[in-house]
Amino acid sequence: MQTKILLDEDQMPKAWYNILADLPTPLDPPLHPGTGKPLVPEDLAQIFPMELIMQEMSPKRMIDIPSEVQDVLRLWRPSPLYRAHRLEKQLKTPAHIYYKYEGVSPPGSHKPNTAVPQAYYNMKAGIERIATETGAGQWGSALAFATQLFGLECTVYMVRASYTQKPYRKSMMQVWGAECIPSPSTRTKSGSAVLQKDPETPGSLGIAISEAVEDAATHSNTNYSLGSVLNHVCLHQTVTGLESKEQLATVDEYPDVVIGCLGGGSNFAGISFPFAGDKLKGTHRDTDIIAVEPASCPKLTKGVYTYDYGDVAGLTPLLKMFTLGHDFIPPSIHAGGLRYHGASPIDSKLIHDGIMRAVSYHQSEVFDAAQTFARTEGIIIAPETSHAAKAAIDEALKCKKSGEAKTILFNCSGHGHFDMSAFDAYYAKQLVDYEYPEKLIRESLARLPKIPGA
Amino acid sequence: MYLIGFLVNPIAGMGGTVGLKGTDGQVEEARARGAMPKAAERAVETLVLLAGQPVRYLACSGTMGEEILKKAGIKDYEVVFCPDQGTTSADDSIAVCRVFVQRRVDLVLFCGGDGTARDIYSVLGDAIPMLGIPAGVKMFSAVFAVTPVAAAQIIRSGCTSGGRFFLRDAEVVDVDEEAYREGELRSRLFGIAKSPYVQGLSQGTKQVFESHDEERAKSDIGRFISEVMEGTPEVLYLLGPGSTTAAIAERLGLKKTLLGFDAVKGVKLVDSDLNEKAMLALIKKNMPARLVISIIGAQGSLLGRGTQQVSPEVLRMIGIENIIVIATPQKLAETPVVFVDTGDAVLDRDFGDHIPVVSGYRIARRVRIGREDIPCPNEC
Ligand SMILES: Cc1ncc(COP(=O)(O)O)c(C=O)c1O
Repeated sequence: MQTKILLDEDQMPKAWYNILADLPTPLDPPLHPGTGKPLVPEDLAQIFPMELIMQEMSPKRMIDIPSEVQDVLRLWRPSPLYRAHRLEKQLKTPAHIYYKYEGVSPPGSHKPNTAVPQAYYNMKAGIERIATETGAGQWGSALAFATQLFGLECTVYMVRASYTQKPYRKSMMQVWGAECIPSPSTRTKSGSAVLQKDPETPGSLGIAISEAVEDAATHSNTNYSLGSVLNHVCLHQTVTGLESKEQLATVDEYPDVVIGCLGGGSNFAGISFPFAGDKLKGTHRDTDIIAVEPASCPKLTKGVYTYDYGDVAGLTPLLKMFTLGHDFIPPSIHAGGLRYHGASPIDSKLIHDGIMRAVSYHQSEVFDAAQTFARTEGIIIAPETSHAAKAAIDEALKCKKSGEAKTILFNCSGHGHFDMSAFDAYYAKQLVDYEYPEKLIRESLARLPKIPGA
Repeated sequence: MYLIGFLVNPIAGMGGTVGLKGTDGQVEEARARGAMPKAAERAVETLVLLAGQPVRYLACSGTMGEEILKKAGIKDYEVVFCPDQGTTSADDSIAVCRVFVQRRVDLVLFCGGDGTARDIYSVLGDAIPMLGIPAGVKMFSAVFAVTPVAAAQIIRSGCTSGGRFFLRDAEVVDVDEEAYREGELRSRLFGIAKSPYVQGLSQGTKQVFESHDEERAKSDIGRFISEVMEGTPEVLYLLGPGSTTAAIAERLGLKKTLLGFDAVKGVKLVDSDLNEKAMLALIKKNMPARLVISIIGAQGSLLGRGTQQVSPEVLRMIGIENIIVIATPQKLAETPVVFVDTGDAVLDRDFGDHIPVVSGYRIARRVRIGREDIPCPNEC
């Protein structure tokens, strides 16, 4: 009875899988926020290194991982794939549940899979500092970890509410030498504008992105980095899906169901794209690929598929994606990493086209799942990750009813060691289940001007 | 130094222990049934915990104040009113409250039930905050602390934070005692007082609120619902009582009655303070219609408390799906379960098990609907 399926270091993927090469119809292009015209690489050159811009638009199916990047990834990769024997037993399900555990990375999540290559390409391009935003702090700490390995400075704009509520992520960034600033701040015009209107604002990811983008655009030695959503970020995350496929093959399995939680869409993309590619190519047509989102921020199940900005100030390009509107500030659920109004354009398109699907859950049922998982598999997972665990448990319970022995794979994107206050709230019965008042919101938007290209 | 007006309704709660619902005009009956005055005991429980705090009390002589202060070992007080001993009455409460207002107390701390709260509110309005030590038979008003100990904690926390209380709006609900004794709960919203409270925030188990202070939460709700109303000018909106609904009208630049139901259509005020008949007539002429109501009182009642105008017939005509419930996160923190009591059990059931409650800008919470009988917070 094998529990942990491990690969040798030399079995770590040498190239990322670029699903753009296998899409039956091309992605709708990102649009320039000023002109509304499709972006050209030069538009992005002010804030991204050219290597990443080329990856963003590349038609190549496999893109080599630079050996310097591989060297760093080997600190924790290949990550283990676990068979959840104890969880299966507890659920009395005939299903086989596997989870890819990304919490073994130094910052504790899947985020460094892209932070490392992003820092590397910026270093190569002669950039001295990277500015970014972070919600609950997972991304900020991952980029802090990656930049110091390549001798870059790092400035992290952290959503103010989390800055005070999640102090230890901020401490980690400090250990890794990054500067962490509560957002909105007076460092930027966009931050100052928000503060002037509302000095008490708790901030939001959308505001923090505006600040980081502005910081990068106004300093020539500084670039911007985004921890999710964009094509190149999804690309870098495919190491998880590629490894999982290898690992499952060693035990003669191929997943019937692939699951990931979705904030901006990168860990879900990472675990699912290699399998979605098989589905597109026709080698495995029936794989059920499920993105899991919070009911309080349900862009995939209740949002619209349209062009929208990635940030509050409207500084980013317009992306065709599922969105709740760039001015939507999601309620303060504990899964801070899932509080984003939009979703990766590739994930969005594949969901829109029916290749993948989406489900949503309330946070109290998600924490129930986290507790079940911790009490069977031992790992205390992040609130974000718990969304995926909840969906995996539900799928396994469906198998129990139908008697099918499906193989279920989910991305266990991170541990929850810095989220213990969320568990405290759960045990104090203080978790609030939010509802997205879809109809009312649509009515309230009726009087607003349309965004260009929508 | 704090100046607190202290007041006890010595007969409050006597009816409850002997199966009477309320004590107004029932004291003799209650005594005959063997009831003991216990408001005094409860007030002592609170006061004992306030010993040593920088507080000076103004009070009545005798059982309405001084006796109790003495029993609790409190020395720093001043008697400012002498009621007739033996037969204390609502008039005495009102009279001493007038003195409290003149002397500009920081807070009126009282021990009693809904009736006492109503009498005090009728003098204080929302100019001076009030806090109740629960001792009555019915306590549907939101000015009461959960227990006598909690009342003391609220005041102590005000003392330690340099004399600053967190104040919030608290409904004073007036229950028709005659009807209540007949087994029917008929109530109306009497007014909205200011009451101190402690934000239930302890490090580690922090509640994450949409917005940290209640005024801000109200204005967020107001902004959202006003945008919905602007986006649907063809819909007739009936805005219920309370300060949260008032925030919507304020956003729209409309003058709303605080305690009544007002009608708005196309961002214009159509009519104010509607009774049931006027409401029915207006809805009939103006379909579709929507009802915007907030959660009232300390027990989380939705419809049926202070909203008698909204009869089952009105609700049926509007349709349950057209009811928009609003409440601040702070209010919901205390009323995690809401109770629907429309007066029609079938209709009550149609509400289901959960209801979305708009609690912020484009944010709603999923709130459980309680199915038990409306609970009373204390002994009854
Ligand atoms: C542990 C964990 N899982 C998932 C996410 C969601 O991000 P994404 O959708 O980009 O994977 C986050 C984001 O912060 C995270 O920290």
